[in-house]
Amino acid sequence: MSAGAAGRSSRGPGAAVWLQGLACGAAVTLATPSSVLAGLLLVPGIGAWLLEREPGRPSARVTLLCGAAAAAGPVVALWQAGQGVAGAVTAASDPAVLGGCWAAQAAGWLMAQLAPVLVRLALEGYAQASMLRLRAERARYEAEWGIPPMEGR
Amino acid sequence: MAAPPTPDDPSLLIGGAYAVDLARPLPDAGGGVPAFGVADRRAQAGGALMAVQSLPGAPPRAMALNALAGWTDEGLLAPLAHGRARGPQGVPAWFVVSGAPPGPSLAGALRPWSESELLESVLQPAAMVLEELEKRRVTHRAIRLDNLFRVGPGASVVLGAAWSAPPAQHQPALFEPPYSAMCLPAGRGDGTIADDVYALGVVLVVLALGRLPMEGLDATAILRRKLALGSYAALVGEDRLPPVITDLARGMLAEDPEHRPPPALLADPGAARARRLAARPLRRGQRPLEVAGGPVWDARTLAHAIATEPAEGAGLLRSGMVDRWLRRSLGDPALAVRLEEAVRQRGFDGTTDEARADGLLTMRAVATLDPLAPLCWRGVALWPDGLGSALAAADAMGGTAGTLLAERLADLVGTEAAGYWGVMRPERADPTLVRVEARQRRGLMRQRGWSGGLPRLRYALNPLLPCSSPMLAGHLVARLQDLLPAMEAAAARPEARRERPVDREIAAFIIARYDQRFEGELDGLADAETSEQAMMIQLRLLAGLQSRLQSGPLPGLAGWLAEHAAPALAAWRNRSRREALESSLAEIAKAGQLMPMLTLLENAAARAADARGFQHACEAVQRIDAELAALAGGAEMRGEAARRIGHEAALGVAMMAVTVAAVAVVLS
Repeated sequence: MSAGAAGRSSRGPGAAVWLQGLACGAAVTLATPSSVLAGLLLVPGIGAWLLEREPGRPSARVTLLCGAAAAAGPVVALWQAGQGVAGAVTAASDPAVLGGCWAAQAAGWLMAQLAPVLVRLALEGYAQASMLRLRAERARYEAEWGIPPMEGR
Repeated sequence: MAAPPTPDDPSLLIGGAYAVDLARPLPDAGGGVPAFGVADRRAQAGGALMAVQSLPGAPPRAMALNALAGWTDEGLLAPLAHGRARGPQGVPAWFVVSGAPPGPSLAGALRPWSESELLESVLQPAAMVLEELEKRRVTHRAIRLDNLFRVGPGASVVLGAAWSAPPAQHQPALFEPPYSAMCLPAGRGDGTIADDVYALGVVLVVLALGRLPMEGLDATAILRRKLALGSYAALVGEDRLPPVITDLARGMLAEDPEHRPPPALLADPGAARARRLAARPLRRGQRPLEVAGGPVWDARTLAHAIATEPAEGAGLLRSGMVDRWLRRSLGDPALAVRLEEAVRQRGFDGTTDEARADGLLTMRAVATLDPLAPLCWRGVALWPDGLGSALAAADAMGGTAGTLLAERLADLVGTEAAGYWGVMRPERADPTLVRVEARQRRGLMRQRGWSGGLPRLRYALNPLLPCSSPMLAGHLVARLQDLLPAMEAAAARPEARRERPVDREIAAFIIARYDQRFEGELDGLADAETSEQAMMIQLRLLAGLQSRLQSGPLPGLAGWLAEHAAPALAAWRNRSRREALESSLAEIAKAGQLMPMLTLLENAAARAADARGFQHACEAVQRIDAELAALAGGAEMRGEAARRIGHEAALGVAMMAVTVAAVAVVLS
């Protein structure tokens, strides 16, 4: 298992990077204006992707996806207008478009940071409640049957 | 302090009829033992009765008291009843009720009596009483001047009471055969009727002389003189007695009991006088043997010297000095050979304890040198039938002397010395019987736990010995039926209630007086590993007693037991059930019934249910502990799960946003 899995894991990321590079190259070649606009609008997400060291880059993924959701409208509008790179730069210069896109990515990043904390809080709360219930149950046995209290209490 | 007795208090009546009148002491009536006047409540007639007090450590003679029931001959102050009553200073004591002396004792105003007066007033009436006693297998053992009474000149003497103390305990050495006088006063045993004949012979000699012979000599000097010269010669010396009295006294004072005339013969002085049994004269050595700083001239005094100085005697025996003296000076090689055999036997005894081996050696040597001598064990001399009263005396003596004596007696019993002693003198008693008895006593003493040991032996051999437990201080418990009321009274003392009610003395008393079925229980009491076991055994024992004796309610004792029931209650694990039991126990204790308390605490089905419940509770607690440990140690795992779930949730939300955006773009 370990040899196969190691082989796959060593080949997987390399192939994915190659495929992603190929897709990006194809997109830049075939749709240069849209690619420029998308690149400009997704600068925070791309930066997060490059900076994040956590395996699987979960925060960068959420950031990019949120950014993609916000950038989808402008990019499709640019595509339908058939404008060139200048049009893409002009669209990207619109503070509402750029700000909205970047704000969406900031929100995505924040959500990626807060979600584990909130889940952790919920799990700990549940654990504490369980411990309280078990201790109360144990105390009842101790009182009723003279069982010695738990060590370390 | 107890309240002074009132004449109508039924608890003070002995045998339901006799009230001891402590205000009327009879100083000369008890023959040296405290005696008081008695009123017979039943007869309502002031008959001349007295109660002789039994002193601590000197139990009454139970066998004699039983055997003399229904005695009618007026020549003896026979026991009428015996029991517990309030004694001087309000302390309970045991009294033996008998007729009061008809007149003064013979000890007052001594004068030479005529031959006819001696025969008609003393010898014949006393011999008839002794004959009757012999028929009942009882001895008197207290025939002496201050215990013989008569109304006045010409009247027959009456033998005084001799039942409230061990046989011959108060006999002076003068009136006792030397082989009884050399014993512990409490260890002289019942003896035989021949010992009474000897004492009567001394009385005859004293009355014939009109004075006490050997007056001024102490008991040891009198004994040595009797052993050295023979009793008759020691008592009479150069004096002259009437011829008939001389002949009678020679026979009655013979050293060998078998040579003394029986009472039936004494009733006819002519026939008794004609009976002559020649004793072999003592062989005297050419030179004395020095033992214990004194010269020894014959085998009898040598035996006595070895008996009284056993350490030095053993040394002389082992060194062969005694053997050489017997052969060369005494000229008795046959005796030397027998003694050599006894010395050789020391190597075959198989004991590694030198003191014990020397004890056996000197005991055998004394029995060989003087077959008439009593059992002499490491400086203590006694007759085997006096062991019980000797044990009682040692216990009452207390202190170092009492402890030492008790140790010696325990050693004697533990070695079965009496058995070996019996084998050495088969012509005097059946050695098999003596040996069996010695083995039984050893068995009782060696019995492990609280059902054995010296206390058990002491109570077994003294049927009327009061229990000496400190728990019963201030109470006299000689019979089993008196035990529970005394314990009930003891329960009123807070200091007594600090301990559990049954101690070793009470346990030994119960087992000796009651039922051997409790032996196992009492052994368990000694081995009880927990307070709960000890408590339950005590409760079972006392509840059995209460039930068997049909005693009334014992609320004090029940409360005492309930106070000590905490360990037994603690064995119940369920708190609410325990509290309910505690409450029920207190209620039952108030009623004073021990058996329901036992039933409550020994409910096997409920205890099994309690144990099962406890087992289930333990299992549940184990499960809880495991879950708690898992929760306490799962923080890291929960953190990892939170991170994973959080990221997946965020990713899901982002994917949904993308999907919504894509749909919006397509639709627009």
